[in-house]
Amino acid sequence: MVKSLNSVVRRLVAPVGLWTATMLAPLYATAEINAGEELLRNRCMGCHVPEQNEPLQLSRISHQRKTPEGWLMSIARMQMVHGAQITSDERRTLVKFLADTQGLTPQESAPYRYILERRLNHIEDKQPQLAEMCARCHSEARVGLQRRDAGEWEHLVNFHLGQWPSIEYSAMGRDRDWLGLALNEVVPFLDKNYGLQKDHWQQWLDSEKASPIGEWRLVGSMPGRGDFHGVMKVIADGEDRYRLNLTGKFADGKSLRGKGQALVYSGYEWRADITLGKEKFQQVLAMNPQGDRFEGRMFLKQQETLGVNLTASRADKPSLLAVSPAFIEAGKSQQISVRGTQLSGDVSLGPGIEVLKVLKRGKNEIRLKVRARKGLETQALDVRVGEQNLAGGLRVYDRIDSLQVSPAYAVARVGDGGGSQEKVKAAFEARAYGAGEDGVNGTADDIYIGTMPANWSLAPFDQQAIEDRDLDFVGKIDRRTGVFTPAAAGPNSKRKYGTNNAGRMSVIASVGQGDNKQEAKAELIVTVQRWNNPPIR
Amino acid sequence: MLMRWMFTAALALSGIGGSLQVAAADERDYMVVVNRPNNLHVIDLAKEQLERSCTLPGDSAPGTVAMSPDNRIAYVLAGRFGKIWGVDISNCELTFSAELSYDNVRVKSLASLAVSPDGKEIYTIHNPTRIMNDHYKVLDSQFAVYHAGDGLDAKPQRLYPVPRQINIMQTGDNGMVYMSGADVYAMDPKSGDLSVAIASRSGVRPGYGQPDILTVWPIGRVSNEFIRMYSVAKYGDVEKSPEATEYFWGYERVDLTTGETAVEDFAPLEQVLFTGMHRPGHPNEFYAVLTQLKRHDVKAKKVIKSIDLERTYYCINFSTDGSKLYLAGTYNDIAVYNAETLEKLGNIHLPGGDMSMATSQVFSAPVSRLASN
Ligand code: HEC
Ligand code: HEC
Repeated sequence: MVKSLNSVVRRLVAPVGLWTATMLAPLYATAEINAGEELLRNRCMGCHVPEQNEPLQLSRISHQRKTPEGWLMSIARMQMVHGAQITSDERRTLVKFLADTQGLTPQESAPYRYILERRLNHIEDKQPQLAEMCARCHSEARVGLQRRDAGEWEHLVNFHLGQWPSIEYSAMGRDRDWLGLALNEVVPFLDKNYGLQKDHWQQWLDSEKASPIGEWRLVGSMPGRGDFHGVMKVIADGEDRYRLNLTGKFADGKSLRGKGQALVYSGYEWRADITLGKEKFQQVLAMNPQGDRFEGRMFLKQQETLGVNLTASRADKPSLLAVSPAFIEAGKSQQISVRGTQLSGDVSLGPGIEVLKVLKRGKNEIRLKVRARKGLETQALDVRVGEQNLAGGLRVYDRIDSLQVSPAYAVARVGDGGGSQEKVKAAFEARAYGAGEDGVNGTADDIYIGTMPANWSLAPFDQQAIEDRDLDFVGKIDRRTGVFTPAAAGPNSKRKYGTNNAGRMSVIASVGQGDNKQEAKAELIVTVQRWNNPPIR
Repeated sequence: MLMRWMFTAALALSGIGGSLQVAAADERDYMVVVNRPNNLHVIDLAKEQLERSCTLPGDSAPGTVAMSPDNRIAYVLAGRFGKIWGVDISNCELTFSAELSYDNVRVKSLASLAVSPDGKEIYTIHNPTRIMNDHYKVLDSQFAVYHAGDGLDAKPQRLYPVPRQINIMQTGDNGMVYMSGADVYAMDPKSGDLSVAIASRSGVRPGYGQPDILTVWPIGRVSNEFIRMYSVAKYGDVEKSPEATEYFWGYERVDLTTGETAVEDFAPLEQVLFTGMHRPGHPNEFYAVLTQLKRHDVKAKKVIKSIDLERTYYCINFSTDGSKLYLAGTYNDIAVYNAETLEKLGNIHLPGGDMSMATSQVFSAPVSRLASN
């Protein structure tokens, strides 16, 4: 089950004659290297200069490391901008080869997974060195998901300005010596923080890699559908290739069932296509180095903003994954499910939470009827089952002190209307908080309670939106789920100037009633279609 | 020879925006403007009708136009920011063509185009990138001089080093070329000597932030000015607190006759504006446009009148006598307004597609020369 990815690249450093039997074990790996190198020779060497033959080193290409999506984008650019010739099959093979031999380690990709997971409304906390210089056209993640030394970063700067001369003339470029700053400040910063660091990659290659084959238990949640749990069975289908079966259920009662295929890059980057019922989903998950956890997201292929945040645990290893629902009001009793794998031992939900009845006791689910003592203050409680601990797994609250809509800022796009672009929806959640010890909302000690069912509505964002009657045109929000569906694309003769159905809205969540009613707002921009959708925004 | 060059000396004393062009009996106003995919239109502004449409040899973007001093040849920076064409506007004949790129060096010019006072030289800025097998190398920007007489495969005759980030340029009557970059530069195209005419980025005024400047429109011939607008923050206290900060629109100007410069805040920043210029003959009136059309009193720093437009127009221009104004750019019609009242007078529809970021040029020329037979 455990194989070393190192064997894939061993040939790059060891003469063939020295191979031992165990090193030879993954035959596909040899084939992969041969196929990869051959493609590099045939498809890339016309422009990229060979610097070394054994193993093959090509100018530019051999001096960078990036994610599978990053490699895909580079090769796609070679085709579109430079006219490189390569078939789709060959491109897939080459992306796999490059991501396996010059990828990122799990630690390196960790800070930027949101971009791979297509969390399109994620608001980046940008580093000042990059925010205006680089991350004004694309995400900072696109930068942070690469490793290269100063010379290669410098080539990238030259490519940018050469390809898009307007960089130094447009906003946040024209007010400064863009090229000077890029070369003298940004490049050294990138070199220092995102240098090639071959040793990091080598360590990862040398470490033992786990296999995803087996049964996994999944938990998660999806805006509008609530908590999710399921089972995924993974079987082998070739080197690093897998088939999978998935069944699952949402809190709203809807269930999912289907099949798919997966490919693992770089020893941990799981990418799967799954058809569940009539819907096509994609999974972007990272396997932890121990091979007993997946983290990531499963989203609709055609509607990437709608997806399930997923955590998975190997069914044969003990783990405590989630409590659902994960919050309870003080003085109330309700049913909760504690989910995990190989659950055994005593259940403890924290002081003040009394188990009234055990409704079900299984390896993967313990269903309980519990009561939260009256007078408990809002707090996050550690949940334990035997040896397993889930810090803050259950939240008890006496009242909701504040509410926040997440994301606080979202973009939806008009679509269909005879055009080729589908509508891009936006999904919102109402997150409830306790004020914490200081009694003040919005401070560091606020306690996250959970995602509350809410009543959703729209309002004009500002005076302009009122004057343009945006509310009448931009689209509709589902009162119950918080999913916004934009209107059709194209000009609308009913609007001032016959303009399209774009506009600016406040999305309002309302929770509770009477004196306990809480409201919160987010900003929603409804805008025109986006004509490109690169794998890394 | 164009009247302007004969009268400028006499009118020099009239100062800012004051050098009205005096049209001879036979003359009337025309406009030249470019639109997609490859049209150069000559418009009779007296009739508000298209006089003729010439076909350019390639893509029209960006469509920056500079007229020869005798207003016979329209020079167009187009071909995806990489080509200059000269077109005789009386018969659509191509008199000049320069491909800025050479060898493996790709050259782009961001709306930089001007013609010498004697009409013999054409100026632009080269922003070159060497494209190699597997990498690019950005090279230094250069001021490039072409000879108008070099015909259809013109090569630069002189190249001088200049700072990066230069966009629009205009030639003064004295032959100096004023260029919009981090500062406003003055280049002597005979020697390559470069000086700073208006210190903008390098001379931020005390109590102000750095001005933000967007322009790709070398307008201002009819008001005899090199002109570009800025938006700027003026701080009320040393902490630059937002409550005490005011925002202004202003302009940086060079009088093309005298070379005199001016930096003037002319109105509070309320809306986004793309182009602005003085009204010919009215040195205290500054007009600007995007979604609104605004007439400003410069000294009073006040909006005299503002109207909402039916759509956005990027590029403003005036009749030579300052009585009418013309809004171009963006789509494919030109809106005509009474400059005094901002009352709309009509639209001139152009065959073809968007003008996008094209620059309109207005000038007066003999009817006998330009009218179709
Ligand atoms: C027709 C010539 C040509 C071919 C064929 C070609 N490249 Fe390139 N490549 C270039 C040029 C030019 C650049 C520099 C400009 C750029 O980055 O796009 C480049 C740059 C690169 C870079 C660096 C990009 C960066 O972000 O700095 C990578 C990686 C790369 N190529 C990979 C490949 C691969 C893999 C192939 C084979 C599938 C390939 N190239 C084939 C011309 C080519
Ligand atoms: C004017 C907008 C703009 C700015 C500013 C900009 N980029 Fe990009 N960048 C792009 C575009 C467009 C691409 C996509 C190229 C493609 O499709 O392959 C890109 C691609 C990239 C890539 C992926 C290249 C590859 O092939 O792997 C990286 C890394 C990157 N940019 C880093 C930077 C850095 C670092 C800066 C700041 C110095 C920067 N970008 C500034 C527009 C911009």
